[in-house]
Amino acid sequence: MSAAVGLNLAVAGLIQGLLIALAGLAVSLCFAVARFPNAATGDFMTFAAYAGVAAQAWTGSLLAGAASAVLLTAGLAVASYVLVFRNFRGRSLVAPLIASIGLAFLLRSVLTFFVGFDQHSFHVPIARAIVFAGARVRPIDLWLAGTSAVTLLAVLAVLFLTPIGRRMRAVADNPELARASGIRARAVMLTLWTLIGACSAVGGVMLGLQTVVVPEMGWNLLLPAFAAAVLGGVGNPTGAVLAGIALGLVQALSTPLVGFTYQTAISFILLIATLVLRPQGLLGRAEPVR
Amino acid sequence: MPVRKWMLTRRVLGQAGAATALAAVVGRPARADRPYRIGALNPITGAGSTYGSGMQKTILFALEEVKRAGGVDGRPIEVYAEDTQTSPDAAVLAARKLIDANKVDAIIGTWSSSVSLAVLPITNEANCLLLHTSSAPALSTPAQNPKHLAWRFQAASHQIGDAYAAIAAHEKASRAAAMAFNNDVQIASVGFFRSAWEKAGGKLPNPVVYEPNRTSYAAELQQALSEKPDFLVVSGYVPDTSIILREAYEAGNTAKIVIPGWAMGPATVKALGAEVLEGLIVVDAVPDAGSAAFKTFDAAYRAATGNPGSSNIYAAMCYDMVAVLTLAMQKAGPSADNAAIAQVIPEVANPPGQAVSSFAEGRKLLQAGQKINYEGASGPIDFDERGDVTPVFGVSVFHDGKLEQRYLLK
Amino acid sequence: MQGYLTAVGTVGGIYALLALGLNLQYGFTGLINFGVVAFYAVGAYTSALLALRGVPFVLDFAAAAVLAALFAWPLGVMCLRLRDDYLAIVTLAFAEILRTVIVSEEWLTNGTRGIPGIPRPFSGLGAAAGGFAYLALVLAAMLAGVSLTVRLVGSPFGRLIQAIRDDEDAVRSVGKSPARCKLVVFMIGAGLTGLAGALYAHYLTYISPDQFVPLLTFYVWIAVIMGGAGRVGGAIAGAALLTLFLEGSRFLRDVLPFVSEVQMASLRLAAIGLMLILFTLYRPQGLLGRVAR
Repeated sequence: MSAAVGLNLAVAGLIQGLLIALAGLAVSLCFAVARFPNAATGDFMTFAAYAGVAAQAWTGSLLAGAASAVLLTAGLAVASYVLVFRNFRGRSLVAPLIASIGLAFLLRSVLTFFVGFDQHSFHVPIARAIVFAGARVRPIDLWLAGTSAVTLLAVLAVLFLTPIGRRMRAVADNPELARASGIRARAVMLTLWTLIGACSAVGGVMLGLQTVVVPEMGWNLLLPAFAAAVLGGVGNPTGAVLAGIALGLVQALSTPLVGFTYQTAISFILLIATLVLRPQGLLGRAEPVR
Repeated sequence: MPVRKWMLTRRVLGQAGAATALAAVVGRPARADRPYRIGALNPITGAGSTYGSGMQKTILFALEEVKRAGGVDGRPIEVYAEDTQTSPDAAVLAARKLIDANKVDAIIGTWSSSVSLAVLPITNEANCLLLHTSSAPALSTPAQNPKHLAWRFQAASHQIGDAYAAIAAHEKASRAAAMAFNNDVQIASVGFFRSAWEKAGGKLPNPVVYEPNRTSYAAELQQALSEKPDFLVVSGYVPDTSIILREAYEAGNTAKIVIPGWAMGPATVKALGAEVLEGLIVVDAVPDAGSAAFKTFDAAYRAATGNPGSSNIYAAMCYDMVAVLTLAMQKAGPSADNAAIAQVIPEVANPPGQAVSSFAEGRKLLQAGQKINYEGASGPIDFDERGDVTPVFGVSVFHDGKLEQRYLLK
Repeated sequence: MQGYLTAVGTVGGIYALLALGLNLQYGFTGLINFGVVAFYAVGAYTSALLALRGVPFVLDFAAAAVLAALFAWPLGVMCLRLRDDYLAIVTLAFAEILRTVIVSEEWLTNGTRGIPGIPRPFSGLGAAAGGFAYLALVLAAMLAGVSLTVRLVGSPFGRLIQAIRDDEDAVRSVGKSPARCKLVVFMIGAGLTGLAGALYAHYLTYISPDQFVPLLTFYVWIAVIMGGAGRVGGAIAGAALLTLFLEGSRFLRDVLPFVSEVQMASLRLAAIGLMLILFTLYRPQGLLGRVAR
């Protein structure tokens, strides 16, 4: 494997990793505060991509498309909290997990009922890659990297710099204590689900820009996203992002050794190995975010 | 119960038919006093969903056309529709339901090889015809098709592989490479491409086999392009091919890329645009977009789906299935069973005989006692002794935002 | 119609066996196994490959159950000490790894081409009688699964595992090892799943990797949740209901001509999704269950 080949594999891995990271971020937020793995995250992303494509077709602007996708998906996430997940407080995590799988199926089938199974795509100029020190980098890669960084910073800013973020972390640490000290769960949860929806939307639009928009696009990214959230340490958003990027890199860089069919499996093997050796995740602490 | 029911019985059979209509609804061999029932079993959902609903709609409008032409003499036709979900187990239950509950005599339009392989034992057991669009070689072996009830309307993998090699020779390729979607059909066709190309003296590195549903194929592409080929076969389906073509462009690829027709849809053009697609070679079993059957099919397909007929080669095959089946029924006569109908399929589809491009034309000639040779929308539809269609491939090149047919491979 | 009903009965019986296995794991012990399809695939491939090498059917089925249970062992040893949701994710990942292995290791599994021509017991009796005999075999396996579950649950061990489900710490405090018990249940459940896989492979006579996708796992979950987790009859009722629903929607389509087949497929999945949500929200104990979980 020459250096240039390795470098390009790393670039490809980084891009895949960023997409996993965005999905992992949304999963991790839900894991931290609402305390269950949300299997509907992938279909939130799919919904966002379709919403973005539709809005772009209607307004003619990619930015407007992406913005509407974020707004609509945040609304969808909040609605799913109000209608479904709110009612599981105090029950074992199996119930919301199963319900989130149901929600994932429901969302996808409502989508396909109205728009069918055909492939859609965003309208973006397709440009040749720029060769930079032997590595091919596409303009869209830079966009993706920038957007991911901004999204992560925004989420961290909300969590750590705002009063609602502080309350959110308090709920994540100890829901009973938080309730006892007078934190009203309602506002915290509404903010949380807005964040989850927005992160999923950014992930979905980015995924749609990188690939094509099909009904199963988000669902297919769910398991890697779970892996990232768990590897990053449950309830550690920064950890989920870093773990997502690491998973992408490992997948791409392992291909010269294991071939292309096993590359996804590699990240799952890594997941199982990590859980066995270090159940709190790579970057996790014994307790969620504090 | 049926989707659409044609009560041609009275009109065609008159009093005699009505009198005996009560006589027999049981018994597998189709009888004149019982409608011939067709099961449209298509991949409406799952991986084949890009084509499935178009295939099903085509079967319905093609039968509508048959009905408008007067129908098969003495044989009213009913059709029942089902979804295979592109999954063998769902397809098996769907086929069971069609055969046992709806009592169909023929199942037409199964798409993926795994589905056809799972359905074939059931249709054989029930003496039911199976007209499919699957490439797997096993489907036409004597072991799997002992009664000659299965008919393949799609090119088999080895024919597609040979076509790739012929195109490589035609394009004067010096270094070839190949990528394949990880399934039976795609791997087999690039495998046959490799053996044909190496037999002709060329060399081909190991084809890169890629997994579906990846977010990027940059690493796979880098591997495939590592030997600096000037000719690259990408054998996959619409979504993955869209991503690969785009990433190949972005990576500054200069090799000529060849894809099968089924991996290209209107969505591909919309997603990628003229510049990325410029020079792309598409090989397709529609030999002659100017054929009369294709024109009829195309117009009806546009009316039914809003898309051009060229976007769904499998729908064209379904159109031909209906035509061939009804013509064979016409020729075999009102009391023929499936064995007799299967026997005359080559007689109505293959030369010698007067070329016809629709059921209406063929029916008139058959009524006059003449020999016919159906020339279809998806090809000339000539079967070999195994029941496989012998395809003629059309090779098209994308130029200035349009696909232009350049030459034929026979 | 008779042949179709036999087919539906056979498939429903296989679902019931799957649901029994999962019910043992989740319903009685609280193990969230999202890798049902993995053990199903192990059973199917084991039995098919052995049968094609001339091994008698009885041994094929036995080997399928045993090997599926053995596959559960390392996974159980590694993961049963983990949080509940981790087990869910790990088993889901395991199923995907296994599917990749089946796709890639062509020398053993024939890869994406799948394995055609798997012999079916009783095929010598002809289509109708053979189908009936096979249905009887599946139902017998199902009854064996029921009686195994009933005996297990009624035994002291059964009371122990249910105690683990309800309060693991209490069990630990009386000096019993929950991890050990969970492992045993996990393996027995996997064995039942493997047996179901073998019955499926010989029934379909053709298996390929794309038949072993996660959706099947969720179908089994739906059956258990609808029927009622932790009730023996619940698994059977849930499987029957699921089969009725999946097959019934075909006939529904025949009488609703204004719904296209594409839309029907969407509606089918939508109904499944909605049922999952509504059951977990409003009837977590399932149709037959009493215990609120």
